[in-house]
Amino acid sequence: MSRVAAIGIDAGSTTCKLVAVDQDGTIISSLLEPTEPRVELQVQRMLDAIRAEHGANSSVRTIATGYGRKLIKDATRNLTEITCHARGVFRDLGCAGTLIDIGGQDSKVIQIGGDGRPVDFMMNDKCAAGTGRFLEYTAARLGVPVPELGARALSTAQEEPISSTCTVFAESEIISLIARGAEPDSILRGLHRSLVGRVVSMVRNVGIVAPLMLSGGVAKNEAVREMIAEATVEDVILPGEPQLMGAYGAALLGI
Amino acid sequence: MEIWGPPHVERHEGSRHFQAYTCDIVVKAMSFIRSGGLDATKAILVPHTCDALQGMGSVLGDFLQPDQRVLTLYLPRGRRSSDHEFLRRELGRLARTLVEVSGHEPCRDDWDEAFEAEDAADAALADLYRRRARLAISDRDFYTVVRSREYLTAEQFCDQAAALPEGEAPQRGVGLMISGIVAEPALFDQIEAMGAYVAGDDLACGFRRVYSASAEADPLERAANRLLTSPADPTCGTPIQVRVDTLQTRMRALGARGLLIYDPKFCEPELFDVPLLRKHLNAAGFPVLHVEFEMGDRLPYQTLSRIEAFVETLS
Amino acid sequence: MTRSEALPHYVESSRLEHFVNYEVLGKTTLRVQRWRDQWKLARRRPRPNSPLNPPLRSVAHMKEIMSRHYLEGRYAAGVRKVAWVTSGAPTEPLQALGYFLVYPENHAALCGVRRKAQGIAEEAEHAGWSRDICSYARTDIGAMISGKTPAGRLPRPDVLVCCTNICQTVLHWYRVLADYFECPLVLIDTPFLYQEAHDHEVAYVKRQIEDMICVAEEIAGKSLDETRFRDVMTNARRGAELWLEVLNRSQHRPAPMTAFDGFIHMGPIVDMRGEAVTVAYYERLIAELDERIERGIGAIKEERYRVLWDNLPIWFKIGDFSKWLAERGVNVVASTYTFAWGELAPMIDPSQPLDSMARVYLHPILNRSTGHKLASMRRMVDEFQLDGVILHSDRSCKPYSLGQIDQRDRLVKTLGIPALLLEADHNDPRDYSDEQGSNRLEAFIEMMEPRG
Repeated sequence: MSRVAAIGIDAGSTTCKLVAVDQDGTIISSLLEPTEPRVELQVQRMLDAIRAEHGANSSVRTIATGYGRKLIKDATRNLTEITCHARGVFRDLGCAGTLIDIGGQDSKVIQIGGDGRPVDFMMNDKCAAGTGRFLEYTAARLGVPVPELGARALSTAQEEPISSTCTVFAESEIISLIARGAEPDSILRGLHRSLVGRVVSMVRNVGIVAPLMLSGGVAKNEAVREMIAEATVEDVILPGEPQLMGAYGAALLGI
Repeated sequence: MEIWGPPHVERHEGSRHFQAYTCDIVVKAMSFIRSGGLDATKAILVPHTCDALQGMGSVLGDFLQPDQRVLTLYLPRGRRSSDHEFLRRELGRLARTLVEVSGHEPCRDDWDEAFEAEDAADAALADLYRRRARLAISDRDFYTVVRSREYLTAEQFCDQAAALPEGEAPQRGVGLMISGIVAEPALFDQIEAMGAYVAGDDLACGFRRVYSASAEADPLERAANRLLTSPADPTCGTPIQVRVDTLQTRMRALGARGLLIYDPKFCEPELFDVPLLRKHLNAAGFPVLHVEFEMGDRLPYQTLSRIEAFVETLS
Repeated sequence: MTRSEALPHYVESSRLEHFVNYEVLGKTTLRVQRWRDQWKLARRRPRPNSPLNPPLRSVAHMKEIMSRHYLEGRYAAGVRKVAWVTSGAPTEPLQALGYFLVYPENHAALCGVRRKAQGIAEEAEHAGWSRDICSYARTDIGAMISGKTPAGRLPRPDVLVCCTNICQTVLHWYRVLADYFECPLVLIDTPFLYQEAHDHEVAYVKRQIEDMICVAEEIAGKSLDETRFRDVMTNARRGAELWLEVLNRSQHRPAPMTAFDGFIHMGPIVDMRGEAVTVAYYERLIAELDERIERGIGAIKEERYRVLWDNLPIWFKIGDFSKWLAERGVNVVASTYTFAWGELAPMIDPSQPLDSMARVYLHPILNRSTGHKLASMRRMVDEFQLDGVILHSDRSCKPYSLGQIDQRDRLVKTLGIPALLLEADHNDPRDYSDEQGSNRLEAFIEMMEPRG
């Protein structure tokens, strides 16, 4: 008899996540992969794998969220990442507050109410400069792998301020900084500051209700976390698995 | 001491109130206020000359509600007798509010003294422009003083203007006319570096604020007249042809070979005029370059190149 | 090259052409078209898959009224005096003097609805106008330069009348028109009301309206007839009162009409304010709305959520949004924009035309403070029993959009309802992303779902 009560799918633009929960909302299993071009086939494969492993059949409620949610034909229902992230983080951290989700292609701030539902939200999905893409792109210029970004940025006290508001123009700025002999780690620190500045702007627009919580891929970047805390003078806490919160919330909403 | 403006603040704080398509002048002013920059003042006066300033005055008064009194001044968009009459009464309304804020009711002598001082400063500014070719200072230094008319008292400005060294102006190369809302040091440095100089201007922070004295007995009428007889200015609704004629005349008289219009992004009064300014001035043999910039320390590489290319085509 | 040579698409008609093509053939054709539309609407079979209930039958009459106006426009030049006017201008004296009125904003909106605006705006952009200026202005300047229009042909103006009560850019826009057309520009500068209107502001507007009448009389070659003027004012008042009643009918549950319907049905009160045909039209519309209310027929089949729309519509998405939202049970039952042409009705006093006009034209919502706009929205949430607010952050419209961030914030915090800031533009499809817009709208709707 399968323990799986519901499955959540977060078909993001960068990564695809699946989470299976039991009746109490505890995570039984999860999968995370880079998103493939045919995401509907990928999701089918991931679903089959989880169902097979845990003896669940296709009647189990499946909730889809994320950029590609409408492509998942098998889903019982689809909901936006706003609703799902709020639910997942609320359950994991056990409190209301302000959630900052910085993804590969967008960033959002969600004010979570006392019942785990979003009270208010703001999204930046127009401009790469406030998203993970900004760091990825500019870090590639400096030849630094993404997982090392945070540590490298924090390893120096020197900071080169970046004035460009646009990811593409930031690249030319980095080139001139390097030509002038600036240290890559100082430039990285400045880039992080730039990203955090934009994010904190959004946070203030929504209004800070403590605590601040982080989710999404960029949450694992310790420099981002530290700079957000510094700029807002608030505690910043993380769920156990920041990248799975969308899929987890979706699963919880399926129980 | 050099004062440029607005202060070097980021847009972040201001963008809590205004969308991304709002100009730097309003958004950064808001950031400055939010960061406590104006805490020493008792009142903030927001003139009404465009939609962005309209929004600022309204949001400041209705939502931000600072400790300072928020004052507004509606500047009419015509030069008709109805506009004169309105502005006289609008200035009267503002004057009454200022009396409340300052606790001081001006007497006749106060008014006369103030007009005398301001008229002298206006005359000094006009004189500066007349004497430009005989002032041994760079364009940057010249405009530092021109801008200071906005910040210093009338007497302090007159002193500054009088103290400028006479001699041959160190201006070499191609003469440019500059227009737009506001010019900052980065622009002057670049113009100089490119082997050009500023022959004259039509800036909202420069020549457009050269006022001539009025002789009306009633102080409010005198103040209204001073404002309404200022040079051609899109924020006061001047017809395009008038602005074109003024520019052409000045450019010929001052030997400017081209016009560089330098505006912060999203400035609607300017953006509507620019294509026709360009069309009419091109027809008269003057190339025109329109540069939109973000107010900050450095001009981006793209902007520097455009100015360089423009100067090259004029050489 | 003379101006006429530079703008060859502006032609004049003779009285005979106007009579034959418009009075006889045109009106008849449009009447027949209306009968045909009415017949089609009556025979319309129910559509079980549509989330919308059948369209209002009155729309056939509205189409006839608006089409007649644009049809006459094709033959008006040379026959009637023509004035191009802003949507908030005090046009009653011009009506009374027999001017044919062109509303460039309405024309631009028409281009937007027909999805032609981008191509026409690009004509202005190629001539040097920035994409950062209002998309109405770009559409209009582009149409003027190129002659492109889905409305057939617009008549060249004898005079331009520009009133700043809707925004400050109209003056700069009309200065461009004046430069091309080489005709007089009359300015009605209406000081922005940060607070209540002051006497000197009212006096200023009254004086400018008087001056406008002088100029208009001179161009028309005749004096303003007092009786005719009073009739026009009476119709204007009645039309505005009726329009307000139309809008307030949506306080019923379910609402018989959506704000999207409102954006279309507002044509007559904007373009033909002061005409008897407008009064007759809204009387007809109210009767039809009352019929629906009695039979419990709402504009959409399943009204789960009632929402307010702030700011201009997104003209090129009206049909799409109407359907998309209805599919999700969302009825946009009110808008601040449509209300602007009704809420000032009590201020219109035909017995004191100039004094009341001076007040009326100072008070449109766009000329009032951001605090006043918020108070209006809060009142509407209450009166219409609303579950949420969509604030269209219109890139082109600073007077409407600046202040929305604070307004939205307060709506959420003090009323406890979701309020969405939706970034788009009223006429330029390049400034709206369906993907992103739908995502935010979905999240907004999810937030309105009942708890438990």
